[in-house]
Amino acid sequence: MSGTERRTPAQSATADREIIISRVINAPRELVFEAFTEVRHLSQWWGPQGFTTTTRAFEFRVGGEWVFVMHGPDGTDYREWISWTEIVPPHRIALLHGESRGDPNAFESVLTFEPEGTATRIEMHTVFPTKEMRDEVVEKYHAIEGGQQTLSKLDAYVTEIVRKGAAR
Amino acid sequence: MPISVYDNHMARAATTSDVFNAIAEPQRREILMLLREGEQPVTELAQKLRLTQPGASKHLRVLREVGLVRDRKSGKQRLYGLHARGLRPVHEWTGGFERFWNESFDRLDAYVQDLKRTKRKE
Repeated sequence: MSGTERRTPAQSATADREIIISRVINAPRELVFEAFTEVRHLSQWWGPQGFTTTTRAFEFRVGGEWVFVMHGPDGTDYREWISWTEIVPPHRIALLHGESRGDPNAFESVLTFEPEGTATRIEMHTVFPTKEMRDEVVEKYHAIEGGQQTLSKLDAYVTEIVRKGAAR
Repeated sequence: MPISVYDNHMARAATTSDVFNAIAEPQRREILMLLREGEQPVTELAQKLRLTQPGASKHLRVLREVGLVRDRKSGKQRLYGLHARGLRPVHEWTGGFERFWNESFDRLDAYVQDLKRTKRKE
């Protein structure tokens, strides 16, 4: 995937319990930041390919919440809860991410937006309280991705059947 | 082969065939970190890790067998080097959360390009 890179914070004390994901988007910082601030934007891109969201509540302010359900392409629903802990337009957004309000396993991610020429570098930095929690979250998301793979396999399978049926 | 061999295998993959088990050992992880600096002979690694040479050799053998370390002869010495591609199963296993975000960012990118065009028209 071009434009995507993973930085390994080799010597950092939190290296075994953090995840950093970085991406350059070819658009001005204000515009990229805006895509994070309104539900009509967020619902257009949140989640991997094939995922949709249904929003129950959305209030973009510090202490505000986004309560929504994420629908996987295989029909599986995932409850999601986000609460913003810091909003500094157009520089920085910090948020808590869990399944519901008061989720003891909610974790904080910090998104930073830096201009890079005429483009914008987004960096998402998540530090988990423990390595175990990091692994748990990774596993959970792996399961979500797994559902997606199942669907694409099913899709290929059905296509194959249709093709064979047509050939008969 | 006695049936107990299979039982044992079912319970836990052998250290010598499973990358995850191989890197579960802290000293072996340290060896991998040291090898990031470049190829080294076992004597040097043993010294840095304060291990006996046979102890370090044992760890290196495990790492070599799971494909994380390569060795080659250089004159009288045998040099050990990192074969990072062996870590791929681990990287893939940890890939869920990253993939989630990378794919979200793919969609964000496409969406922001649309936004850009719409704003220009306005």
